[in-house]
Amino acid sequence: MVSWTWLLPLAIILSSLIPGLLIFSLKERQEKLRTFLNLTGALVKMALVGVMLYGVSNGVEFRFSLPFLPGGGLLLKGDALSLQFVSLSSVLWLATTVYAIGYLEDSPLRSRFFGYFSLCVSATVGLALAGNLVTFLLFYELLTLATFPLVVHRGTKAALRAGRVYLVYTLAGGAVLLMGVVLLHTEAGTPDFVPGGYLSGMDSEGNFSSTVISGLAGERDFTLTVAFVLLVAGLGVKAALIPLHGWLPQAMVAPAPVSALLHAVAVVKAGVFGLVRVVYDVYGIESVRELHLNQPLLWLAAATIIYGSVRALEQRELKKRLAYSTVSQVSYIALGVALAGPLAATGALAHLVHQGLMKVTLFYCAGNFAETLGVHRIEGMNGIGRRMPLTMAAFTLGALGMIGVPPLAGFISKWYLGLGALEVGQDWVLLILVASALLNAAYFLPLIYRGWFAAPPDEWPEDKRWPALHPLLGETHWMLLLPALFTAVLSLLAGLLAGLDISPLAWGQLIVEREFAP
Amino acid sequence: MSTTLFYLAIGIGLWLMGLHGLLATRQSIILVLAINIMSSGTFMVMVALATHSDPVDPVLQALVVTGLVVAVSATALALRLAASRRRRTEDDAT
Amino acid sequence: MNPALLSLLTPLATAILMLLCRSRAAVWTIAASLLSLVAAIAALYQVTTDGSQLIHLGGWESPLAIRFRVTALSALLLAFTALIHLLVGLYAARSRHSQTRNTDYWPLSCFLHASLASLWLSTDLFNWYVILELLGLTAVALVSLAGTKAHRAAFNYLLLSLAASLCYLLGVALLYGRYGVLDSLLLADMLEADHTTRTALLVITLGLMLKAALWPLHLWLPPAHAGAPTAVSALLSALVVKGPLFVLWMLWSQVAPVELGRQAGPAMAAAGVAALVSAGWSACRTPHIKTLVAYSTVAQLGYALLALGMLLRWGVRELHVALWLFVFAHGLAKASMFLAAGEMQSTLGSKKVSALRGATQTVPVAMFAFAVAGGSLIGLPPSGGFLAKWVLLQPLLLEPSHWPWALGVLLGTLASAAYVFRVIALSFDRAPPPRPDYNPDPVAQWLTLLPALLVWGMALGGETLILWMSGVAY
Repeated sequence: MVSWTWLLPLAIILSSLIPGLLIFSLKERQEKLRTFLNLTGALVKMALVGVMLYGVSNGVEFRFSLPFLPGGGLLLKGDALSLQFVSLSSVLWLATTVYAIGYLEDSPLRSRFFGYFSLCVSATVGLALAGNLVTFLLFYELLTLATFPLVVHRGTKAALRAGRVYLVYTLAGGAVLLMGVVLLHTEAGTPDFVPGGYLSGMDSEGNFSSTVISGLAGERDFTLTVAFVLLVAGLGVKAALIPLHGWLPQAMVAPAPVSALLHAVAVVKAGVFGLVRVVYDVYGIESVRELHLNQPLLWLAAATIIYGSVRALEQRELKKRLAYSTVSQVSYIALGVALAGPLAATGALAHLVHQGLMKVTLFYCAGNFAETLGVHRIEGMNGIGRRMPLTMAAFTLGALGMIGVPPLAGFISKWYLGLGALEVGQDWVLLILVASALLNAAYFLPLIYRGWFAAPPDEWPEDKRWPALHPLLGETHWMLLLPALFTAVLSLLAGLLAGLDISPLAWGQLIVEREFAP
Repeated sequence: MSTTLFYLAIGIGLWLMGLHGLLATRQSIILVLAINIMSSGTFMVMVALATHSDPVDPVLQALVVTGLVVAVSATALALRLAASRRRRTEDDAT
Repeated sequence: MNPALLSLLTPLATAILMLLCRSRAAVWTIAASLLSLVAAIAALYQVTTDGSQLIHLGGWESPLAIRFRVTALSALLLAFTALIHLLVGLYAARSRHSQTRNTDYWPLSCFLHASLASLWLSTDLFNWYVILELLGLTAVALVSLAGTKAHRAAFNYLLLSLAASLCYLLGVALLYGRYGVLDSLLLADMLEADHTTRTALLVITLGLMLKAALWPLHLWLPPAHAGAPTAVSALLSALVVKGPLFVLWMLWSQVAPVELGRQAGPAMAAAGVAALVSAGWSACRTPHIKTLVAYSTVAQLGYALLALGMLLRWGVRELHVALWLFVFAHGLAKASMFLAAGEMQSTLGSKKVSALRGATQTVPVAMFAFAVAGGSLIGLPPSGGFLAKWVLLQPLLLEPSHWPWALGVLLGTLASAAYVFRVIALSFDRAPPPRPDYNPDPVAQWLTLLPALLVWGMALGGETLILWMSGVAY
């Protein structure tokens, strides 16, 4: 009866891994088969995630384990937090796959691209389902390996340079993370992630006891602090916390679907998701507060938010501006985690999904402008709303959400973050939030203004790529347009229907209830 | 006892001489010779140590014989390689 | 017959038979490796059920006898040797580019296999001398198969190997003069930390470090390993340098007095870290593919040296496991990497690293093998290299006073990542138009991938392997 529950986490990973491996072996011209494999994988994954969502909300436990290291095996586990991330990845994977098929039509080396694309999603999902730190580390490194070929896919000088920078940052981050994981393993072993943190329930001999860590030996405190710094440094690379964010703006030379995935789900989110795991499920809020570690993390996140926004304001290239905006927006999640209160945590977890939906929309739209009209820079956006109204509408929704205009998704998460800051008495964080919203408005509103109200150029360039377009959705290829509209509508719904039980916010509240349960 | 020490010293002296030759020259034949001097030194040390006990230790003598066999075959291989190396340099020169 | 002896005698007999009759040499060699592998696995099974055993050759009793000892580790090493020979043999027999198909490679590789097998089983210091010489001579002969252009490297290799053996022999003679025993198991109870012993151990260690190409005595290795035919490079890097390492480990961890070990340990560990960093740097700079892989061998041996040094310093049992896991993981990964490098080099027709531009398009499978093997060398999870690093890091991170050594491992990881990704990054560049004689060999490329897959497969049974290795006696 219960025999299938262990299979489900594995099946969710395999549903993209197997198509990925098959795609590698395909010939370049077997386009139909490749598309079939891609879409089947994405749909099967969505269905499986749906089953798991249903199961977890009814309290079923999904565990798959494999003896890999003594005291820290390979463990895949579906819990509420992992599902927040898995659902986001599987929905956006489907959308991005459709987008990428349209985007890369007739370009070379597509089998290689889609192969690594699927591996990348497998690694992301594995990371989300990881049930302990060792497994998390494993998928974290695999993610690096799978995304590198995507970043350098175009094979241009700039792409290769960006790829090198990306590798230097992420591999060094991975090595530091490994040190942190092993250090923690020597101190406390590698138990499963536990809501509330397994270190909080352990005394100085490493035994589980009911007493919270109040009378710890000084050396253990020291070790735990060092381990925390190592873990945050390792994760901070992918989460693009300053000063470890240098790779992200460079990596935007990748093809648009890759940027979309990198910024919205795969890499950046993997880092932040790791932070959530470490703070909540490894150390536990209690220990992090006891060790006085949340305050530095909070400052770091706040600094990153402001820094990212200021740098975004300087950029004249659309994708670069979006990239710096990611640096800023992702740190909202780190901020919510570091605030260490239930309301802030709810906001952070909701923002994990909201930011993904909004950012992916913006990158799709940027890709559409570039592919259809060759517009890469902000100056080129004048009047673009008249030529491509639907794309521009999606862009507007995403941008307004980022600024935090009610009732869009971004507003919900910021509202909860603000309430959370007040709840724990860190009132200054409100100033950061307001400042960041103003900065966001300063770099997004001009784009919206240019797009709708500025005078268009006398003549748009001839669309050579798709001469015969669909009459109704005629502004660009439908495979580029639909995903953008789809995610834009989702981000609108996530805000409008935040009160429903199935919204990201509600799911975030469920996680927080479990994390902060006494 | 003093004879043992004498031969021991000579053996170690030969070994060091061989080592010096090995490090100081680049000519193939001399290098092969240096290796042989080094091995003679080692064998001398072993023979000297054999006389150390009474009666003379047969195990060390047997070891020296084995060592000689190894040294001769190694020298043969070394000379073969040195010769071909020389031929190659001559070919390159012409 | 004892299965361990069978595992040793099979390649030896095959080699001798092949001197008489040379038809179908490849088939015979592969069959012999396979049989030897099966016998080694039987020996492994026997050792785990009955415990280690001593074999007296010729029926003599000690101290006159030459004894072989079959322990869990030596049985594992027998199996490992046979496995690598099998995998490399398959490639050498199948690949159109291997340059070794109809040469003396086959009998020589069997001799190499037999020498290594007897090295793992031996316990006698003088026996080791003879075997190390055999190993050196066979290896030199194998290197010279690459033709007259490799003779210079082969000659230098031979001279250094002979000089190293003579260092070793001098030390052995001193030890014998002092204690009158050559068997390492008997010596273990007798050794004292006096001047003669110190001098003897120093000379022996220098000789062995030179033979194993341990930093700073490694300069001969890159030209010799890079100049050899591809299959030979793989055998040399995966197996031959591990022979002297084994003797060094036996001598220091089993025979030498503990207090001497405690003094020598940090020096060895420091040399290990220096190897990781300096050879890693050289690998990042060299313009040739196979030289890069050869430098990577020097760097990776640094991990083993670091583990050995720390083992002597602290006497932590897990470090035995770490050391040997490194040897196994490196052997498999390096075999794959050398085969892949050689295959790419001959398909693309250039020895330069820069010729690998766009290799993911021209030689995809071989490039994938190179990357997968490189992943294990870096120690990315879940590979064999990761398992070894995991075990090594634990004692290093246990106490804050040990943490600086962990920094060495971190540096080593970054250095290996740098040279592996130097190649991988280049391979994603756009490929130039293929040369007129471009003629890839897909089956051979898949064969180069096989050892790399095995090293990642090690992780599947990682927990069992580590626990088993921590449980056996050393």
